[in-house]
Amino acid sequence: MSRPQPLMIQIATGDARPIVKQIVDAVRLKIATGELLAGAQLPSVRGLAQQLTVNPNTVAKAYAELTAEGWLDARQGLGLYVATPRQRLSDGERERRLDDAIQRFVHEVAALDYPPQHALARLDDALRVLAPKKLA
Amino acid sequence: MNDSLFTPETPVIHTAGLCKRYGRKLALDHLDLQIPRGGVHAIVGANGAGKSTLFRVLLGFLPPSAGSATILGRDSARLRPQDRARIGFVNEEHTLPGWMTVAAVTAMQRHQYPGWRQPVFDEVIGHYHVQPAQKVSQLSRGERAGFNLALALAQTPELLVLDEPTLGLDVVAKRAFLESLLYSNAATDGRAACTVIYCSHQMEEIERVADNLIILERGRLKHMSAPDDFRARVTHWVADIPFKAPDPAQVPGLLEQQQLDGLHHYLVLDQDDSFGRFLRASGARSVQSMPVSLDRAVNSFLAQHHAAPIAA
Repeated sequence: MSRPQPLMIQIATGDARPIVKQIVDAVRLKIATGELLAGAQLPSVRGLAQQLTVNPNTVAKAYAELTAEGWLDARQGLGLYVATPRQRLSDGERERRLDDAIQRFVHEVAALDYPPQHALARLDDALRVLAPKKLA
Repeated sequence: MNDSLFTPETPVIHTAGLCKRYGRKLALDHLDLQIPRGGVHAIVGANGAGKSTLFRVLLGFLPPSAGSATILGRDSARLRPQDRARIGFVNEEHTLPGWMTVAAVTAMQRHQYPGWRQPVFDEVIGHYHVQPAQKVSQLSRGERAGFNLALALAQTPELLVLDEPTLGLDVVAKRAFLESLLYSNAATDGRAACTVIYCSHQMEEIERVADNLIILERGRLKHMSAPDDFRARVTHWVADIPFKAPDPAQVPGLLEQQQLDGLHHYLVLDQDDSFGRFLRASGARSVQSMPVSLDRAVNSFLAQHHAAPIAA
């Protein structure tokens, strides 16, 4: 039986952000910064509620929101785990990373002196291998 | 439970046109209130909003002047001992017979309530330094509060009514009290968790524990929803209005306004982006808005009609 990873977060009452939102934001940040890794188990609803002295329904709401957004996975009867990363990037961020990847590719390929059609054909082949997996 | 027409869908509290008059003052003014089963319901209101009167009428300690009140599907004025066994009540003063020992009060309650759960009592009382041989009059306010809550939770009520339960408790006792309320009370042994109705002025506490927020004002129901939904109704706007600010009577949804360092601050109810357009149309050079805390939202809502000395 694995043990849940402690969730070192604080909530503040009297904040303009509701407690649900504070929990959601804190967990997201932990995952985004790699403090919580994919596969880590989260505290139980009751456990976290007691830790923060809040109503368990509040924690349940926050967990439901994180699960719906794809940050957490519920494993039947076992609890909640940090999900393996899926597309969680914003459109702008995706665009930026694609630009970077293309720039790196272009710089490498330019030095190899192949005609562009050849490089494109090879790239096309490589991407097609990925495509069906994504669709499945 | 076939002795009353009470199903899980029946509200635990149901009042219709409920009035209670003290002399010329209406403490409850045609109050229509339905509280559903389950969860923690917090009632807030200014002093004299009718919270304690409502509890007294609901528990049959006071007759209503008009209208009807039912609790767990029974007429409040005709509660039988077996109905009372299903309701736990902790009053503001934590009134218990001062001359009795803790052990004697506990034995009496254990004898009176068929659903008595000793482990629950032990667990809750364990948070306080209360000795069985102590007399109730020797307990501090916080200890009496804890003792009272332990008694009420141990009787396995379906409905727990708490009148300002944490008033005057120290921080440790308050936390223990909230923990007992939230976690000792969870669904166990296949029975549903009990419904908690509690009134308080402590917003930070309500933010932590309440599923539902009920706002009373001058004996009337002003609002009922999840606390976060209420908070979302109130927004804080700051406008830079170089010339004359709009007449307060013309400001839609106005709860509170202040002028700070030449800027106009408005707390308003149920306003969307059109409020920004209103401010601009009223001569604002710049307009900003932000959400508010629950405390601020409730505070400004109650301040709107709160008693205040007549301005000079």
